[in-house]
Parts: sequence; structure tokens; C-alpha cells
Amino acid sequence: MIGSDGTVLLRARSLNKIFAGEGVVVHAVREVDLSLANGEFVAVTGPSGSGKSTLLHMLGGLEKPTSGEIWLEGKRVDGLSQARWAMLRRRHIGFVFQFFNLVSNMTVADNVELAALMGGASRKQATARRRELLGELGLAAKADAAPARLSGGEQQRVALARAMANRPALLLADEPTGNLDSAATTAVLGLLARAHADGQGILLVTHDLRVACTADRVISLFDGMVVDDAPMTIPHRPMLLPDVLKLRG
Amino acid sequence: MRAMTRWIRADLRASTARALVIAGVVAAVVTALLLSAGLLQGATNPWQGLFTATKGAQIWLHLAPGTSVRDLKSQVSGIDAVAGPYEATAATVVQTGARTRVELRATPSLPLIGRPLLISGRWLTPSSPGGVVLEATFAQAIHAVDGDVLTLDNVDASRHVRVRLIGIAETSDQGFYPDQTPGLIWVLPGLLGRIEPNIGHTEEVVGLRIADPNAASFIVQQVVTRLGNSTVGTVSTWQQVEDSMARRDPLLGLLLALFGLMALGAAVLAIVNVTAGRVLLQSIDLGMLKTLGFTPLQVLAMLTAEHAVLAGAGIVAGLAAARLLMPVLLDGVPGVSAAATALPSGWAFLIIGGTFAAVLLATAAPALQAGLVRPVAAVRAVPPRGHLSKLARTAMAARMPPAMVLGTRAAFVRKLSAALMIGGLAIPILMITVGLGFWSTVDDVQRNPADIGLAASVTVSPGPLTWSEAGHLIKADPQVQAAYSCVRADALALGDTTTITTLGMGTSAQPYPFHVVQGQLYRAPEEAVATQALLAALRLNVGQFVRMWIGGVPVTFHIVGRIIDPQYGGEVLAYGRDTLADEGAPTPIGFYSLVLKPGVSPAAAATHLVRVSGGRLDAAVVSDPADQLGIVHVALACLIGVLALLGLTSLLTASLLSQRDHQRDLSVLRAMGMTPLQVRFALMMRTTVLALVAVTAGVVVGRLVSTTLISAVSKAYGLGAGIGRPPAVGALAAAVVLAIGAAALASMLPPRPGGHMSAVAILGPGP
Repeated sequence: MIGSDGTVLLRARSLNKIFAGEGVVVHAVREVDLSLANGEFVAVTGPSGSGKSTLLHMLGGLEKPTSGEIWLEGKRVDGLSQARWAMLRRRHIGFVFQFFNLVSNMTVADNVELAALMGGASRKQATARRRELLGELGLAAKADAAPARLSGGEQQRVALARAMANRPALLLADEPTGNLDSAATTAVLGLLARAHADGQGILLVTHDLRVACTADRVISLFDGMVVDDAPMTIPHRPMLLPDVLKLRG
Repeated sequence: MRAMTRWIRADLRASTARALVIAGVVAAVVTALLLSAGLLQGATNPWQGLFTATKGAQIWLHLAPGTSVRDLKSQVSGIDAVAGPYEATAATVVQTGARTRVELRATPSLPLIGRPLLISGRWLTPSSPGGVVLEATFAQAIHAVDGDVLTLDNVDASRHVRVRLIGIAETSDQGFYPDQTPGLIWVLPGLLGRIEPNIGHTEEVVGLRIADPNAASFIVQQVVTRLGNSTVGTVSTWQQVEDSMARRDPLLGLLLALFGLMALGAAVLAIVNVTAGRVLLQSIDLGMLKTLGFTPLQVLAMLTAEHAVLAGAGIVAGLAAARLLMPVLLDGVPGVSAAATALPSGWAFLIIGGTFAAVLLATAAPALQAGLVRPVAAVRAVPPRGHLSKLARTAMAARMPPAMVLGTRAAFVRKLSAALMIGGLAIPILMITVGLGFWSTVDDVQRNPADIGLAASVTVSPGPLTWSEAGHLIKADPQVQAAYSCVRADALALGDTTTITTLGMGTSAQPYPFHVVQGQLYRAPEEAVATQALLAALRLNVGQFVRMWIGGVPVTFHIVGRIIDPQYGGEVLAYGRDTLADEGAPTPIGFYSLVLKPGVSPAAAATHLVRVSGGRLDAAVVSDPADQLGIVHVALACLIGVLALLGLTSLLTASLLSQRDHQRDLSVLRAMGMTPLQVRFALMMRTTVLALVAVTAGVVVGRLVSTTLISAVSKAYGLGAGIGRPPAVGALAAAVVLAIGAAALASMLPPRPGGHMSAVAILGPGP
């Protein structure tokens, strides 16, 4: 699949994941092939238990595939050690989770700056980047707050700021709006659209079709298999949020 | 690196209290270990500390007067420095009729090598030419204090000089009095000349400080060869002094060793508990850090560095606390000198290094685990799988309260967490049980000194009176319940070169009431009882015969029983004194051992006897073990307190872990229709069931270990098995009730606000 600049950012080939334990074998992901171009925004959708999150975790190195290949920016990465994956995530991959997963013992500012520092920024650069991101997200006043004191929408915006701190080429989002009300959902989708507009590749896992429709392309999973992979280029589709943002921009 | 520093700072800021607990526990552990090791060393091997403090010499020689030792250092290799030569002479201290042999040693100024350590008063100066300084244990034995006036007689008692005691000092030159005699008195050369003008009655004393302590015997041989056999009188080496000092009080040494063992166990437990617990509580955050790009090694390094800083702070605080507390503790331990408790640097390094390593290891193990767990575990809370057992189903069907059934079942679903809690509580309870066993043992020794061979509390020597005159006076005293005529005789076992002290205690018809722990008491001539240390030294067992030379006459003893007696370094052979006469061995003039009537003060009885005899009887109070064992009670109380706190810390950590792990279950239980009270009850049930298992295991094993451990250490110290007592039932029951009550209360604590994960977060999708 060719993206905005035509080069492939992420490619998976024949990806499988089998969970085995206590006599039960679950084939969570079966023979999945997918690719994501630089700057492309792809949604993965499917019912609960269809293997969406497992697929995303494998693509980000959080889970080891049982078999198959993963290529990131032209390099094969599925066999990397945990440490190598960690180093890859620092600069190239940003993660957003449904439950925010902010580091609880750090302030909002620390959470964002920690990611920047991990990516190799100096202390000054990290502070500047944190100010810029929290300012853009309307969270400048909450910089010194503990994550637990923030609302769900605010925590997810902090998680997004943290994921974007190093301007990673790939943003992996696992149900980022699954736990938010509609206003917070709109805000988070707006931020993803902005990242997309900035040229970041996004792979978004959701079971909410309205959210999936904001992507360039939607991949549907069922029982761990890809059952549909279709671009969102329906001629008479209603105007969606990214379009509105594009128009306003 | 910057990211790691940022996380450490944030973590220390966010959980300051827990960080302080770690530093505090490390400080407490270092303090406890340094104090107990110091006291242990002071009580069991005081020589090392005294030697260091006095810059002692390893070899002491008594030489003929006028022997030149000026070139000794250059002539014999391996000698670093020579102390002296000091002029010395034998003399006698005369005190209210009692005469005690002493060695006077003339020192013009405070020596640099073998420098006596003043513990009271001042050193000799020309401004007080009649002043003397007494060695501390000798001063204690003759009840002399600063300012006392003593009379010193020369060897042939032709001269009597009155002197004033101006100072008391410790030394590593010779063993403690009366294990090593004569007592030592330092005087100015002028005073020595006044007391003993006959130079033929003097000696020269020289100390040699050598480079390699193990070469002492070799250097002695060289020195003797160099100076000539005829000029060298007596020689003592540091090994002899060390042995003599170490054998002084095996009972206190034994109890302090046990205390040290417990402190060591508690230390390891405390450190592992607080450190590992803290890391385990952070496992979700740590997994999250990995999704941000922290490598497993970085997680390990970060946690290790953080805890190393905390351990460092704790160690510094511990060192300071030990320095402050040691003088306070020493006030409560008579007979243990401050200098003797100074640990050799190796020990201190071992304690500090060991504590530091324990913190790092206790951090590294869970940190390594956290580093290796795939980060996906952090973003997905996976509930444990488990079946409702048949028992639980039956209980539910039988209408047992569901909260009780589910809480009990929940106790064993998370096996690691259950094991941590059981271990975290069972070990302190086990050690508290052992501690209570020590307590009972010490109590028993204090209440029944007869159990350790100290039935008699006063000994009386006839002095100038005849044996029967003294006996009449004693038997007429209404405070005396029984008087046993006793003798002390040196004996040489056949085929052995070591002299042992044997005791004729009472007669075969009226034996001294020893507490026999194995076999029986001597009831006939030639029958004897012995302590474990003596049996071990002579490689004997109860029931065997041993032949000894006493006063040049061979005497055969049949060992019929084993006793416990900490006197004479724990090496005691006792028999009826009539055995000596029967065998034709000379019977030395002995002493009476008096058992007093209940409630009579030994000091008052001794004073009374001396008064009624017109100062002619020499009555002495047998040192009361209660005086020395008081400190053990204090130390045990502190230790049990610390162990109880450790148990509580374990419970709180387990409770926090449990609340974190069970948030999901709790929400589900609520959703199923259980009231908040029922949910709390279920949680309490879980903790209480685990606490019950832990406490039962701790008490049962502790009860088994306690007497075995006391007996094992007791055997190692030569006292032999049989001294240990089981913990008091009441105290044990109180400990059990308190532990289970505390567990129930800890489980009722409300969850921390803004804790690691909200219930909603945990109720996320499963895999």
C-alpha cells in the first residue's frame, strides 16, 4: 500500500500468535499480512476478542509473535530482543493505550519529558517539547499534577503528548477513545488527525466504527484473521472530522 | 541516564514514606548488627578490641634484671617495636586482713606500646609519687575504687608502704583477673624502689610488637636463643591472653551469640521484605516504562541505583546511631569494656558490605523479574485463572456466607502473592517464638541459678581461722540454709599436658546441689560430674572413667553425670571432696559454698559473716548472672519489637499488593450483588486465612527450632545442651492473637487515594 510519500513504514507478513496455557490453546492472530505507508492512518477494527490488541502489541514489540515477520522502516524487527525493541520504541514508535497507562509516580510534565529524555533529548529540549505539547493540548496548567488527579480525557491527552514527544514515525493507538465520553473522544481524534497531518503513520485499534471511519483505510479482523482491508474512499461518504480539520487548516 | 535520574527523583518524591522506611530499616539493621557484634566481641573476645585500643604488644617477656634488650629489634627480624624494659616486682596488697599477690610494674610515663587505657582517674605523675594505677578487672575483684588507700607489702613482708589508688586502666598485656594472676599494678619507678629495694627481687618486663602475629612462637624462640635461657623467666603470647579473656563468661557470650544470630536473620528478612515489597508494588509502572523504551537492564540498573542510594543513607545513619547507642548499652553490661567492643575493621566492613549487598540483591531479584516480564503485562491486567473448588461449591451450597467462602478461596488463587504474605509473616513469627524461648531461658537462669551450678551465692574462705572454727561460725548463722565444704585442686589428665581445675564440692554423702542434665550426681567417692566443655576437652562421655594426677597422686574418676556451670570458663569437673582423702591425694585448704535461705541478700549475708568473725572470715558474693543477663532482656525486648514491626510491614505490603491485585475481583463481587461490607469481609477473610497459616507455621517451627538452636549454640560454647527452655505459653498466645488481629486490621485499611491503578482501569479487556 502506498502512502502519502509512497514508502512503506510498517509491514507484517504471515503473523501468528498462539496463546497456550492450562490446556487451552487460543489462536489469537492468524496469518495476518498488513502494511502501513509513511504518514498513513489505518484503523484496525473488529469485535471483542478478534485479536486487534494482540496484533498491535506484536507490531510494537510488546508481545512476541509465534511466527511471521515484522518489518519497520525496511528492517526486519520480529526477532529483536526486548532491549532492542525498547530502543526502537524510544525514537520510532509512540504508544497510546485505552487506559492511558501514565507512570503513576510522576507528574504530567515528568511523564512527557521522560519520553523525550528517553529519545535522547537534552533536559532543555525535553522541557521545551513538553511545554509545546501540553500548551497545544490545553494542559499547561496541569503540568505539575499527578496523573490520578486528571479526568480520563485529560489523561489520554497527556498519553498522546507523551507518545508524540519524540515525533515518532509510527503511532500505535490501542482503543484510545474506548474509555472516553464523546467530547473527549472528539478532542483525541482531533489530535490524531493533527499527528496524521504532520506526517506520522498511525495504526489505530478500535471497535468503534465511527472512530475507524476517520482513518485512510480500515482493516477488519475476525477470529484473528483479516477479513477486509478497504480504503475509506467511498464517494458519497459524509464529511468526517479529519476533513473538517483539513478544511479549517 | 537523564531519564533514569528523572524517574528515580520522581519515585523518591512520590513515595517518600516508603523510601524512608527502607533507609530506616537499613539503619536499624546496621545499628543492631554493629551493636550486637560489638557486644558479642566485647563479651566473648575482648582481647582484639583492647589490643587495638592499647596498641598492644603480642609477646610479653619477664627477664632477669639488667638484661639488655636495646638491640633486640635489630637482632631479631619481625619485631616492629619494643615496649619497656619496665622494672617489675612481686608484692602483696593487704586489705582488711586479706592478702592478694600482685605484680608491680614501674613505668616512668604512659607507654606508647601496650599503652594502658585509663577508664577512671588519671595516670601516674611525679606530682603524686605515692599514686598507683590498678588493672581494671583486678580493681573490680578487690573492690578498689579511685582514692582508696592500699597497703603494699614486698615479697618478704619486710616493708609496708601505703599507696593511693589514683587511676584504673585496661590492658591487653595479660588476661583478666582472677583467670590470670597476679593482679597488675602500675607504679612510678621511685615507688617500686621504696617497696622493693632489693634488686634481686625484681624482674624486667618487655613487650614485643611484631609484624606477623602468627610468627609469635617463632620469634619467642629466636629471642630466647638470643638472650639466653637463663635470663628469660616467663613468656606469654597474645594467643594465651586472647584465650584467657575469651573464656571469661561463656553464658553471656552464648546469649549474645544467639542474639546476634537472631539479629542477622531479622536483618536479612527486613531488608528483603521492604525492598522486594517496594519493587513488587511498582511492577505495573515498571512495565509501562518498558513500553516507553526502557530496556530490562535499564530497569534493573535504575532500581538498583535507587536502592543503593537508600541503603547508603541508611548505613550512614546506622553507623551514627551505633556510635551513639554503644555507650548507653555498655552502662547496662557490667564487665564489658568500651575498648573491647571496638570491632575490627574487617567485621564492620562485613556488616556494612553485607547489608549493602542484601539491599542490592533484594532489589535485583524482583527488578530483574520486572525487567524481564513483557511490557504487555503492564497494559493488560490479566486475572488469574482458577476453578471454584469442590469444597467451595459445597460450602456455598450449604449456605455458608459467600464472603467467607470467596475470601478463603481468594487466599490461595494468587499463589506468589499468598506465598509472599505467608513467608513475610511466618518468618518474623518464627523468630519471635525463638526470641520468646530465649526469654524463658534467661528468665529461668535468673530465677533458678542452681540450674547452672550457682546454687550457692556466697563463698567463704577461713582466712586465719581454722577450718572447723570457720565451719562453726557459718553453721551458726541463721541466714545460711546449707554450707558445703569445697576445695579447688589443679589436675593433669593422663596423657594430656593441660592443667584443669577440679572442684571437690561437698562430700559424697552431702554433695553440692548441682543441676544434673544427664546422668546423676556423685553419691560415692571417685564419682564425678563434668561440664560439656570439660568432657569435650578430654574427649570423654558420661559413664566413662578418667585418670588424673592431683598433687602428684593418680586419682580415678567415674563420670556419672553432666552439669551446666559457666564458671572457670565452663570447664568444670566436680566430685565429693572426700574422694581426694580416699585416694591419698593432698587436700588443699578449701572454702565453704553457702546456700542462703530464700529472700536473704548475698551481700548482706557476706557482710554479716565477716562482721561476726571479727573480720577474719573472707566472704565473697558469687557473681549473680542476673546482673549480666539484664542486658539480654533489654536486647531481646528491642529485637522482638523490631520483629513485630517487620511483621506489620510485611502485612501492610501484602495488604497493598492484595488490594491492587483484587480490585478487579472486588468490583466483580460488588457487581454480583455483594454489599461493601461483605466485600470488605471477603478481603479480611483472605488476609486472615493467610495470616493463620503463617502464624501456625511460624509458631510450630519456632517452637521446634528454639530449644534446638539454644542447645546447639550452647553446645558450641561448651555449656552443653539442657539450658534451653520453651517459650512461655501466655506470651506465645499473645503474639499469635496480636499477629492475626493485626492482619485483620491491615486488610481493613482503605486503599490509597490516587493509587497505582483505578478499578476502572483494571476492569479493562482481557486477552
